[in-house]
Amino acid sequence: MISRIRYTFREMWASLSRNLTLTVAAIITSAVSLLMVGGSFLIQRAFDNQLKLWTGGVEMIVYVKHGADDSQVQLIEAALLSQKSVVAGATYCDETCSLDVAKTLFATDPSALEQLTPQIPSFFKVKPVDQGSSEVLRSLKTEFSALPNVTDVRTPDDAVATLSRLKNIIGVRILVVSVVLLFASALLIWNTIRTAMFARRREIEVMKLVGATNWFIRLPFMLEGLLQGIAGAGFASAVLLLANSNWTSGVSGFPINSGLRAFVVTVGYPWVVCFGLVVLGALVGAIGSATAASRFLDV
Amino acid sequence: MIKLENVTKTYSHEVTALQNANFDIAKGEFVFLVGPSGSGKSTMLRLMNRQERPEKGAVWVAGRNINDMPDAKVPHLRRNIGNIFQDYKLLANKTVFENVAFALEVIGRPRHVIRQQVPAVLDLVGLGGKQERFPHQLSGGEQQRVSIARAFVNRPLILLADEPTGNLDPATGEGIMRLLDRINKTGTTVVMATHDQRIVNMMRKRVIQFDRGVIVRDQARGVYE
Repeated sequence: MISRIRYTFREMWASLSRNLTLTVAAIITSAVSLLMVGGSFLIQRAFDNQLKLWTGGVEMIVYVKHGADDSQVQLIEAALLSQKSVVAGATYCDETCSLDVAKTLFATDPSALEQLTPQIPSFFKVKPVDQGSSEVLRSLKTEFSALPNVTDVRTPDDAVATLSRLKNIIGVRILVVSVVLLFASALLIWNTIRTAMFARRREIEVMKLVGATNWFIRLPFMLEGLLQGIAGAGFASAVLLLANSNWTSGVSGFPINSGLRAFVVTVGYPWVVCFGLVVLGALVGAIGSATAASRFLDV
Repeated sequence: MIKLENVTKTYSHEVTALQNANFDIAKGEFVFLVGPSGSGKSTMLRLMNRQERPEKGAVWVAGRNINDMPDAKVPHLRRNIGNIFQDYKLLANKTVFENVAFALEVIGRPRHVIRQQVPAVLDLVGLGGKQERFPHQLSGGEQQRVSIARAFVNRPLILLADEPTGNLDPATGEGIMRLLDRINKTGTTVVMATHDQRIVNMMRKRVIQFDRGVIVRDQARGVYE
């Protein structure tokens, strides 16, 4: 058993070093494609974080006419809460509460606060079930605007819509390109193994004739492909972590009121993605090399 | 040891390499397969180690019909069959020792067995002092001896030799034949395809003659006709 293991690793190493150029090319292609896969996951997560910050759990504010009595407010609340499939909750902020909020918001602009105070409206903070869907927000806005004694309905819908669209456009395109590149790297690994097997066709022929099993012959080649995939994933992970760290420190320098400070990915998620990349790299390498090793054994 | 029953082998449904071949080779026999190029000699050898399968008939080796043998069992069959080729099929980047050891290594023999068996078989074929040489540093006859050592190191039951003297001068060829005869005397069955008339006439062993895929003669202690 030990001699077999020694043989397998020795032959794998010999084959890797013999086809150095192709090996490096296969590793680089795997690394680039896996970097794009990992990058697409991180970008999606950054968009999700940003969307969460912008929506902040309060998707819309329904303003109630100044001076509306309790029964009118209760009517609006009942109408909001009746939409159980789309509304997760609604919190009422009466005129006193609304004035406190205004004082905080317009602390640096007393004249605006003075203008607002006599007609200050009360409001409901409404939390939809699907926080990221701009379509839901838009339809709720139309519906709630029509309620009696509602003066205005504000949603972050345009910004959310833009960000959601951007997320989809970038995410889908990067994912498509990375899948194509992953396929290319599997093909390149396949071709590297095929070339390695062709270069050693005489050896393989002798091995078969003296009674080596197909698995014994295949294993060094399969390990070679596996190693190429894992090496590619290793490089991709290193670059991804470095890029994410640079991006995070760059974004943290944005002004607080830029609203973009959540466009980052932190707290372990990049490591989860890197682990996924190593698994994916190993899978691509194993599939590429196993296919080639099985197909070109009859040399 | 080897038995063929009504074996027919065709290539691409057009070229008939062997037609209805029947013979029986006993354990320890030395048999020449003779005939012109394309008569079916090499195909016969390839059928015996399951490199090919016949369309019809059965090939029995060591009591087993190898046509019905599952692919996974074929490597184990081949560990009992040594192969010798006209072009030696040595690995240029390995030394004499490594070429012979390779045959044991790839079937998982432990290192101490390899260290013991390889020098012994190299002594047997007369290459005791040339273990560290590479194939290009050897003569044609010496290269064929390495090939024989590699085929015999695992002490197979059968040796299949395809034109082993084809690339050698007569004197060197005779040396190779003496070596094969010695191996045969240890009890190993030797089946050799050749069209070297001089060698066949010199050895006076059993001769099976092929002509366009058909066995036309099977003669004990025969000569080349």
